[in-house]
Amino acid sequence: MIITKKRDIKELMENIKNYKSIFLIGCSECATLCGTGGEPELQAMKETLETEGKKVTGSFVAKTGCQILGTKVELKAFKDALAETDCILVMSCGAGTQTAVELFRDTAVYPTNDSLFLGNMTRIQMFDQRCSLCGKCVLDKTGGICPVTACPKGLLNGPCGGTNEGKCEISPDMECAWVRIYNRLKRIGQLEEMKKIAEPKDWSAANTPMSLNAREKKEEVKK
Amino acid sequence: MNFKEALNSEKFVVTAEVGPPKGTDIKEMLHDAEALKGKLDAVNVTDNQSAVMRINSLSICKILLDMGHEPILQMTCRDRNRIGLQSDLLGASVLGIRNVLCMTGDHPNAGDHKETKAVYDIESVQLLRVVDSLNNGRDMMGNEMKGATDFFQGAVVTPEADPVEPQLMKFEKKVAAGANFFQTQAIYDIGKFKEFMTYARKFPVKILAGLVLLKSAGMANYMNKFVPGIKVPQDLIDELKAAGKGNALDAGINIAARHIKQLKEEDVCDGVHIMAIGAEDKVPLIMERAGLL
Repeated sequence: MIITKKRDIKELMENIKNYKSIFLIGCSECATLCGTGGEPELQAMKETLETEGKKVTGSFVAKTGCQILGTKVELKAFKDALAETDCILVMSCGAGTQTAVELFRDTAVYPTNDSLFLGNMTRIQMFDQRCSLCGKCVLDKTGGICPVTACPKGLLNGPCGGTNEGKCEISPDMECAWVRIYNRLKRIGQLEEMKKIAEPKDWSAANTPMSLNAREKKEEVKK
Repeated sequence: MNFKEALNSEKFVVTAEVGPPKGTDIKEMLHDAEALKGKLDAVNVTDNQSAVMRINSLSICKILLDMGHEPILQMTCRDRNRIGLQSDLLGASVLGIRNVLCMTGDHPNAGDHKETKAVYDIESVQLLRVVDSLNNGRDMMGNEMKGATDFFQGAVVTPEADPVEPQLMKFEKKVAAGANFFQTQAIYDIGKFKEFMTYARKFPVKILAGLVLLKSAGMANYMNKFVPGIKVPQDLIDELKAAGKGNALDAGINIAARHIKQLKEEDVCDGVHIMAIGAEDKVPLIMERAGLL
């Protein structure tokens, strides 16, 4: 899921200082799990804004805020409230914010969150980055542990000299990704994989902006 | 005899390190370099060591070359992408620099520009292959070049990494990728280093043992705590302590000299790489006490 964190409220108030009537859009997916854009957070934001003298014309949690057409359909029920809105706050990720930008061409839209990374939830409201969306997966060669993400240098050919008792030199709280990969490959009988020299990565697979048309039988990534 | 020839001869090779300063005043560095002239087989020039921004390695290599030194260009992958690295390698080649040490590079987290965007487009093993490719007249994408480089390329290894197995697997990849020589992370336990050398001798590469000059017991304790892959044994720390405050550096010089002497007399490795870290002027004294001058 996309991990989000609430932005500084002072910064947000500065963003919307010229607007009076605010509409809030959350998301029932990632932002709800992150505690940044579910019902309770929207309610709390409504109270904060009202304390600051703003009028909240309405609020709603989109089912999937990055789904543009679905969100458009859901928003039809809020037509009247939106008609008296001069600013929309989106309480999900950067993608959700830009759904609103596309749907409301003449209205200002601001994000209430910073979008951090694609993460796994390890415990309730605790998240770890496991995948960097690099465009060309290397997990088949690394025992399923991603060094592009888990190694601060993104090394592809084994650990640097900074491994210290199996920890990363960046932080003693962090396991060395390559020690983990080594141990994992050893356990599953694939240590031979680590002896192969990994070619330089094709970073053009991660060039932005990307789009994908998955409709056709043959997948096609356009850049 | 150049560095490559020295390594391929029976000679016990000695290299040391010069760290470019931050800022344009290079008087002190030149003074240290002058004192090392004629004593070393080659001199490494660090590349924004510890991710602290300084003069680039390439410029100082050229200055040292003009002084009569044989420089080893240290190249890390932290600050340049594959275009920048290859371009600088071609530049180094036309400036007459022949030796290059390929490294991944310390993470910016260690340095004085922590907010930078680290590059790491490629890394040490891949950089070794890039050098090999340039030596064969092609860039890393296989494009033919007008004129090839003629680099003698090396790499680094940490014999006391913990755990050591994955580190040794990487060492073997570096050998396969074209490393001709290795300069090791600092070693202090000669017995343990001999075990590493028994293993390393199986490969057709030259090994220079890394020696960091100990300046005090505090420094040794600090490195044990904070520098991965460096383990100063307690008896050496006691030796520095026993020397007392004013004489610790002298004791450190003795330790380094003693280790060099032992490595040479027992033919443990092909030479040493002395890292004096700020006390470059003491390198000739270490060599003298080791019986090398």
